Amino acid sequence: MAFQPQPARPSPQPTSGFGFWLRQNIFNSPLNSIISLLMIILISWSLFNLVTWIVAESDWQIVWNNQRLLAVFQYPSDLLWRPMTCIIIIMSLFGLNAGVSNEGIGHIIRRAFYWILGLIVIIAIVALVYWESVRLYWVIAALLPIVFFFIGNAIPQIAKFLSWGWVLLWFVCTFILVGFGGGHGHESTSPMRYVNPNLWGGMLLSFFLSITGIVLCFPIGIGLALGRESKLPIIRTICTGYIEILRGSPLVSWLFLASVMLPLAINATPAGIIRAQVAIILFAAAYMAENVRGGLQALPKGQGEAAHALGLSPWDTTSIIILPQALRAVIPAIVGLFIGLFKDTSLVLIVGLVDIFAMLNQIANQPDATLVAGGILKELFIFGSLFYWFFCYRMSIASRQLEKQLGLGTR
Amino acid sequence: MTTTFPEGLVTAFAPDGGEKIVTIDRLNKWYGDFHVLKDINLSVNKGEVVVVIGPSGSGKSTLIRCINRLEEHQEGKIVVDGTHLTDDVRNIDKVRRSTGMVFQSFNLFPHLTVMDNITLAPIRVKGMKKSEAEERAMYFLEKVKIPEQAQKFPGQLSGGQQQRVAIARSLTMQPEVMLFDEPTSALDPEVIGEVLEVMVDLAKEGMTMIVVTHEMGFAREVGDRVILMDEGEIVEVGTPEHFFTNPQEDRTKDFLSKIL
Repeated sequence: MAFQPQPARPSPQPTSGFGFWLRQNIFNSPLNSIISLLMIILISWSLFNLVTWIVAESDWQIVWNNQRLLAVFQYPSDLLWRPMTCIIIIMSLFGLNAGVSNEGIGHIIRRAFYWILGLIVIIAIVALVYWESVRLYWVIAALLPIVFFFIGNAIPQIAKFLSWGWVLLWFVCTFILVGFGGGHGHESTSPMRYVNPNLWGGMLLSFFLSITGIVLCFPIGIGLALGRESKLPIIRTICTGYIEILRGSPLVSWLFLASVMLPLAINATPAGIIRAQVAIILFAAAYMAENVRGGLQALPKGQGEAAHALGLSPWDTTSIIILPQALRAVIPAIVGLFIGLFKDTSLVLIVGLVDIFAMLNQIANQPDATLVAGGILKELFIFGSLFYWFFCYRMSIASRQLEKQLGLGTR
Repeated sequence: MTTTFPEGLVTAFAPDGGEKIVTIDRLNKWYGDFHVLKDINLSVNKGEVVVVIGPSGSGKSTLIRCINRLEEHQEGKIVVDGTHLTDDVRNIDKVRRSTGMVFQSFNLFPHLTVMDNITLAPIRVKGMKKSEAEERAMYFLEKVKIPEQAQKFPGQLSGGQQQRVAIARSLTMQPEVMLFDEPTSALDPEVIGEVLEVMVDLAKEGMTMIVVTHEMGFAREVGDRVILMDEGEIVEVGTPEHFFTNPQEDRTKDFLSKIL
């Protein structure tokens, strides 16, 4: 008799589909079923309330009416083309950078570019309809980066100039924002006249403080971490002391100290934004140093030894072998620090600077808001939270992609 | 040699007449209070294969790590390829350029491809052109029989392949002397052979080698001289034949009886 395989029988119970998933995860025991039901009721109830509020009660007029204050605070209204120009050139370089490569890190940059460009396109459409004075700039900010994207795509050789481009960009943007000449006393109508940094605020200030902080705390932190691991006792002591002292007090106290003590120490009173910026950078650098040190210690000793044995110079050993490996080991911690730093810039309201959160606070205290029954707070702070959430979430995504990307080599 | 040595001190000088590549004269080293190397005298002729054996903790690894200054010594003189190894950074650089080292744990750079691992030093240290360095890297990769792995990352290779890449990486710098620090101790038994094979080829081509190993077969077949170290001292020196058939010292006999 020929061999007859036993016919396959269907499983007595479904092993896939929504019903199966529900039974496995939500209603897998009597107690869990009760908890699940309670949670579903609770969540539906809050969602219902929230949606009712958004549809029927919320009034976003106050955010809309104060849009310019939220964006740039008291930056002169005839000079708005200057921050707009900064957005245009930053986005153009971003586009160029994103266009150059779609491999590895390039892919991550490109994805981030799409997100930010998408945001700007939405704003540009709003600008086309409502904002006559800056309409043109927003449209350029949405279109020019796309042109540069394709330029970068066509000439990938420019990749090696990009990092210098970003460094140069910081100086160019700062110069455009600050301007020159004019002085304080007399009126000037020059388009490039000096704008007192005390007039900066809102999102402009939040972005400036956090981007500059992130960019500058990075190299200082690396230097401190290497210094703390140094063989020379003097350098080691100085770096350790610096890190422990800076980490020992909250950022708020350093912001105060920078506002009050820095003028005493250097016998001059730089603008409040500079004092706050210095405090933020130095504070973040201490945390950065500890993160990087964690990466340095995670590295096997043999890596440095192999580099020495091959005759690589100490500089090459550090910059090609040690740091790239140490940094990739602590990317989540570093991005976490950046996200924290971005949000912590809201503390500058303590020393009288008006970043977006301080601005929201001020608006909430305006008669417009306080004269409404109960005051208008929810819409303002929901808007502020969304602003922070969007950029922090985007940084999180980039961090996850970066981890995945850099993991390739070690696996 | 005109210097006189204390009685009972074993010296391992290479036979006269050859060109001395490495000369170590009364080397002493301490870790804190612990005396790891005691009055080591050793010289190696060009083209010689010296195998260092001994129980773990006897100072063999420390000894060869002193030769390219991965460890600092406190007393004594080390001369490598005519360069006196001192605190002078230029001398250290010179010595490291004339020595290559292969480690027990490979120590390839995991974030660089095999090709970049090999070409990094020729480009950065010798100022070689990238194309030239890659050509040379391929030559040595073929020599260790894994040219097809050039574009992979170290983590994608087996232990034996990684160690062969490490050997190729050292060879590409064209050292005068190769130092092997237990090159097969971290390998799975079935791949030890492929690494030893490469080392045997290298020895046959006349490379000067100082090899710390537990592979007695390698010592017996390839070694010109075998040195037994114990407790930071050189206990006995001799040809493999002398060592494995007619050892003189009790400690040598004891060690060999344990591992053979």
